[in-house]
Amino acid sequence: MLARRIARRLLAHRGAAVGAILAVALVAIAAVGPAITSHDPEAVDVDHGLSTRGAPRSPSAGEALGTDQLGRDVWARVVAAAPATLGIALAATALALAFGFAVGLAAGLAGRWVDGALMRLVELVLAFPYLLLAILLAALLHGTSLASSGLPVVLALAAVGWPLVARVTRGKAMAIARCDYVHAARALGATPLRVSLRHVLPNLTGVAIAIGVPVLADTLLAESTLNWLGLGPTPSWGRMMYEGREYYRVAPWLMLAPGLAIVGAVVALHLIGDAVRDSLDPKGDHA
Amino acid sequence: MRSAVLAIALAACSPPDHGPRWRAAGNASPRDGGTLRFATSDQVVTLDPAIEYDQISGYIVHALHDTLVGYEPGGTALVPHLAASWRVSPDGLDYTFALRDGIVFADGSPITAESFLAAFARVRAAADSPFQPFLANVASVSAPDPHALAFHLAKADASFVYVLAMPFAAPHRDGSDTTSGPFVLERWDPGVRVVLRKNTRYWDAAHVHLDAIEMAENVPRDVQFLMFERGDLDTVEGLALADYLWIQDQPAWQPFVHVRATLNSYGSRMNVRQKPFDDRRVRQALNYALDKQHSVKLLGGAAIASHGILPPGVLGRDDTLAPYPHDPAKARELLAAAGYPGGFDIEYMIIDDDEAERLAGSLQHDLGEAGVRVHITELSIAMYAAALASKDGPAFAKAGWIADYPDPASFFDGCFHTRAISDEGTTNFAFYSNPELDALLDSARAEPDPARRAALYRRAEHIVYDDAPWLWDYHQETVEVTQPYVRDYEPHPVWLRDYTHAWLDLDGDGERVTR
Repeated sequence: MLARRIARRLLAHRGAAVGAILAVALVAIAAVGPAITSHDPEAVDVDHGLSTRGAPRSPSAGEALGTDQLGRDVWARVVAAAPATLGIALAATALALAFGFAVGLAAGLAGRWVDGALMRLVELVLAFPYLLLAILLAALLHGTSLASSGLPVVLALAAVGWPLVARVTRGKAMAIARCDYVHAARALGATPLRVSLRHVLPNLTGVAIAIGVPVLADTLLAESTLNWLGLGPTPSWGRMMYEGREYYRVAPWLMLAPGLAIVGAVVALHLIGDAVRDSLDPKGDHA
Repeated sequence: MRSAVLAIALAACSPPDHGPRWRAAGNASPRDGGTLRFATSDQVVTLDPAIEYDQISGYIVHALHDTLVGYEPGGTALVPHLAASWRVSPDGLDYTFALRDGIVFADGSPITAESFLAAFARVRAAADSPFQPFLANVASVSAPDPHALAFHLAKADASFVYVLAMPFAAPHRDGSDTTSGPFVLERWDPGVRVVLRKNTRYWDAAHVHLDAIEMAENVPRDVQFLMFERGDLDTVEGLALADYLWIQDQPAWQPFVHVRATLNSYGSRMNVRQKPFDDRRVRQALNYALDKQHSVKLLGGAAIASHGILPPGVLGRDDTLAPYPHDPAKARELLAAAGYPGGFDIEYMIIDDDEAERLAGSLQHDLGEAGVRVHITELSIAMYAAALASKDGPAFAKAGWIADYPDPASFFDGCFHTRAISDEGTTNFAFYSNPELDALLDSARAEPDPARRAALYRRAEHIVYDDAPWLWDYHQETVEVTQPYVRDYEPHPVWLRDYTHAWLDLDGDGERVTR
């Protein structure tokens, strides 16, 4: 009954509809990308992909988003960058959620010194500038054999994403732990593990969704920043923007195309996140 | 919101007029006064001419110091500066310079032959001076009288006078940091800016028109260009390709865009001591695989394809040699003959900047067509330079050579003579050692007759063309844009920036005239 009401609210939410359409479009592009362009994203073409003076070609019928500084097709590169860019953001968010949940749950339920220690750790990580931390981690991992994969970036982003999750989870877990049904379960002799898995965790699903979507959006933005700085696999939207930045007057599409992809993805996630939060809110019916 | 959209739409439709904001005031003769402002993307390392050996420091050191001989404005012919004249003995071993009368340092003390001896003594005494090799061939230098300087060389060297045009050979007064050039140092905030003021005691001060020169340090190239457009800089050099492409679309700017060939050669070193480059056929194959016209295009056309180390205009360049043609089939053939029918994987080291990245991307593509799979490693300039100079650095790496003076010896001896090889400080980046070439270069250096000398260097050109220790690529031209009121200025082939004789065409109040 409750689930149906949430679903109804979600469907009626206008922002959610826009966000969902955007998100579906992006995922579709990422999934079937190579099939919808005849150009090879890595094909350097100095002879034909650049003007006689060496300038990138502007968008035309043949190249919907023009070419880049090496005569490569920009649309093909935006599409080719999508799976890795979105995949890394999803993986990092999943990791951050899992770790943040575990820490938050432990802190919220155990209380006392466990709570104190874990929350100090959270504050420590939060106090550290996230970008600096991510760059440090990514740079440390860069020299390893993992460098060519997206793993350094995933780990770096997860490392900066989890504290917020942990904090929210802890608050919610503490609230749930004080509920009558938890007291009842305890009184009936349930072990702490059973209490947390059977009674607390299921009631945190909503929180997970509500916080997971905006964390994903933030992670995507942070990932683009790291890409801009030269970390992570190529092509990526952030790196494309970096490479095109000097061309903003002669070939603005070099920045606009990947930039709009990033903006589109982040806006879509925020719209969906807002809608999810609204529909999970028991006090309001904003739809 | 709607009006904002409208404004953007209108801006996009209106005809672009991004020409200069100022124009020359129209003075008929050079006007004295004014400060010329420019910026560099790096910073001054040192102002000591005995140590200074980088381009940015060089701009300032050159403006601060004068030498026995110098270059004609805008050209490469040697003309008397602090020396009034000089004589060479028939055997080419003795050089005698007569100093100009009445020359003084900026502090007013006289410049005598002793001042030059002091400068050479400093270079010889400075442990970290890169200029000692330039003096290695000087058996003795003496001052027969206060206005004469006599050099005796161990071996004849036809390029010796050029060496004396390098700033390390400028006069020095012990116990003082006074200078001898057209400008004096007024202020240096390391890493921020250098301000120079006109030296009124300079022997040729009548032809120095600027009051001051101000150089800002550590300004990124794209920012420099924006500052230039705003009018915060009077000249901008080394444009990013995007800015060069943009300004070529602005007709009103064209008279003020200076494109000038300078003394360089760029390519890639192939360490001949390491596999697979120990086989000449592999080195030739890569030369056939690379399309040099791609590099030229990616530099906005401000370059020419090269067949060797000597750029056009330098004595001994063989203009009948054409760059290796782009021929991937021939490249595959040579690779197969050398035992690499399937090509090979190779690391390629470059500096991490946009231009190097772009060129490497094209090289990677071209070599890929011949079966050579290039993996690009980008390093900061300091790490790159160390790896390039080391025998253990990547065998395949971007390399370039900027000559000290416009003479073939300054290209060949540093790049391909066996003497230039050292384990951690090589300038013979390819570790190329060929006794035949060494002998040829030694006799060419000593040859006094220019025609015979040119013939010897043409033979050297053919040797390194065929042996291909480098993947020859291009000679880059310098691109500088000046404000319309900067007059009588062209980039100099040796110094690049030399504003000694430039002047600012301003109105009677010293203000810029709006277009």
